[in-house]
Amino acid sequence: MNKELLTEILATFKKTQGYIEKDNRLFIETKKEIVPALLKYFKDKSFDRLAMVSCVDRINENKLEIIYILTSFCLDNPLNIILKIKISRNEPELDTVIPIFENAEPYEREIHELFGVDFIGHPRLTPLFLEREYEIPPFRKDFDMRKYSEELFDSVPFVGDEK
Amino acid sequence: MRELELYFGPQHLGMVGNFSITLSVEGDKIVNAASNPGYLHRGFEKLMEYRTWSQNFPLVCRINVIEPDSMEMVYAMAVEKLANIEVPERAEFIRSIYLELARIGSHLFGLWAYANMLGFDTVAQWAMYHRDIILDLFEELTGARVYHIYINPGGVRRDFPKGFKEKIVKTLHSIGGCVPDYNNTFFENRLFYERAHRIGAISQEEAIKYGAVGQPLRATGIAHDIRKVEPYAVYDKVEFDVPIRENGDAHSRILIVRDEMIESVHMIFKLLDMMPEGEVWNRTPNPFKWNIPEGECYVRVESSRGELGLYLVSDGGDKPYRAHFRTPSYTHGLVILEKVLRGANISDVGNIMISLYVIAPEIDR
Amino acid sequence: MDRNKISKWLKGPAKMGHKYSLSAIYFCTGCGIIEVPPVITARWDAERFGVIPVASPRQANLFLITGYVSLKTLKAIIRTYEQMPDPKYVVGFGSCPINGGMYWDSYNTIKHLDKYIPVDGWIAGCMPRPEAIFIGVTHLWTLIDKDMAKGYVKYREKYESYRKNQEQILGKLEWKPLYPIRRRK
Ligand code: SF4
Repeated sequence: MNKELLTEILATFKKTQGYIEKDNRLFIETKKEIVPALLKYFKDKSFDRLAMVSCVDRINENKLEIIYILTSFCLDNPLNIILKIKISRNEPELDTVIPIFENAEPYEREIHELFGVDFIGHPRLTPLFLEREYEIPPFRKDFDMRKYSEELFDSVPFVGDEK
Repeated sequence: MRELELYFGPQHLGMVGNFSITLSVEGDKIVNAASNPGYLHRGFEKLMEYRTWSQNFPLVCRINVIEPDSMEMVYAMAVEKLANIEVPERAEFIRSIYLELARIGSHLFGLWAYANMLGFDTVAQWAMYHRDIILDLFEELTGARVYHIYINPGGVRRDFPKGFKEKIVKTLHSIGGCVPDYNNTFFENRLFYERAHRIGAISQEEAIKYGAVGQPLRATGIAHDIRKVEPYAVYDKVEFDVPIRENGDAHSRILIVRDEMIESVHMIFKLLDMMPEGEVWNRTPNPFKWNIPEGECYVRVESSRGELGLYLVSDGGDKPYRAHFRTPSYTHGLVILEKVLRGANISDVGNIMISLYVIAPEIDR
Repeated sequence: MDRNKISKWLKGPAKMGHKYSLSAIYFCTGCGIIEVPPVITARWDAERFGVIPVASPRQANLFLITGYVSLKTLKAIIRTYEQMPDPKYVVGFGSCPINGGMYWDSYNTIKHLDKYIPVDGWIAGCMPRPEAIFIGVTHLWTLIDKDMAKGYVKYREKYESYRKNQEQILGKLEWKPLYPIRRRK
């Protein structure tokens, strides 16, 4: 059944590659314009649960990889769909998927904060976790955490030590 | 009436954990609610990129304080999958027993928080005491009370000590003997019904729409459980039920917690009987020179609060390239809580939040 | 009669009062909070040592910092600490407030709590056991007896430096200083 699903997807959507791993994982790589249509398609196929939205910084290719993981509420369907797209690292922009899956909202907010991706149409891209402002979003690979924390926290003197 | 903004938490009576909610209220009715996490943000996933594969074990279990064990399990499973490591059968049994014990401990903690908040102090004291004697079991098995770091890739750290099986049985019997007391004072008590009935109710459609997992989902009548849908460890070899309820309110959610505990106890007894002899750990390479082949995977387990997933990427080095945890409280605390609070009363905030089983460190990571 | 003498006589009983009725504020800071519910319930029963949890900072005189302190929490901690009446004691619980613990290189947790508020005692360990809390409490008794738990006095005296450290890490604080700040020339 999973094989048929894959062939159908590849036939319907252009510029899409995919393969199935043995333990019920379906990997699909596509372009960012197709994502909403593809997600809607899966939703109608009863993959109606967005497990998470994630982001990986592929610094060597100068790309950010956005990952959507979909599963199903059906009890006899263990297939997990892992949908990957690559967007530019310098001007990361992407359409929000909140109209399709409402629970994407905090994930997109988090990715905006930690990776600096702009989600067009997101109702509130306000800070979620962080208190300070960061020049480079902290989860990007070129943010040197050790150097940053050393500089920030060690520069504060112990009380009584300063003259 | 004028609308007013009210900050609820992080240091507040009705708040368990370091979390806060910004409420807009009209009188004592909540018009709008916005969760405000981040008080416990440590940047775990970033920290993991700076540490080797085995150094990360003490780190991942600290993501969730209430039930660190499922965190270890999900990370170990991801590492095993990427590195293609087999796990001996006895170790799988031990892992399942260990995870079920952890589930009981975690549920008892949740029961403590809930009963304490509702004013059932006696039950709260019992629950905390019973959790503590389960922690004693963990202490004997692993040497630590809360953070055990017991699951290793390729098995578990050590076998059961001598006489440990009997000890588990004895402890669980002594807890099980108190179930009628719990029922009389709490679960079947009219007061509990009155205080929790129809509080924070979500319908099945809403649960699906917002992507609920765990108790909030099962309280609406969907028996979704990763242990059944996609069995890991030895959950496909043992029989158990997935308790469900229909109402979707706080009352149903807490009753499911009780039923799950009872189910876990039965499961542990069955697993103890079926346990084979043998090795408990397939040796892994020297942790300092351990490179894991390139690849990525998504694994999931059923923690005590619902589906817990991990997306792990390796670039062939000795450290993870990227890890992202999909924690159950994330959607519960940031999406469902906001929706459910709209229209509720201020006095119900704690009730709704604890019955949704929102655990702050898990959201912030 | 000499007035000074009366206050001297009363010092002993007052100290005893402070010692044996430590009201710990119930503030969940980090993962160490998981050991606090067992400690205040039947099994370990902190009330034997006179420690009870209270909900409002205005009633509290013991502040247990139970674990790592992120920047956002630090703000809440400072506010809570400043609301507590004198005399107040701060005990850092776990290795994270001491030197950062296992989050020594994290970008969002502070490493040394005593740079921002005065701390009277530390309980080391990752996670310390419940017994450690009791040992910590008995040590705090000794400190109170010997007039060594004077963190709150230090806070008043060195308020400028503390406030400066706090502002260095958190940016401008939106509440008024607790004590007047003398302008330097
Ligand atoms: S010292 Fe250990 S247990 Fe305590 S807060 Fe830090 S990491 Fe957690």
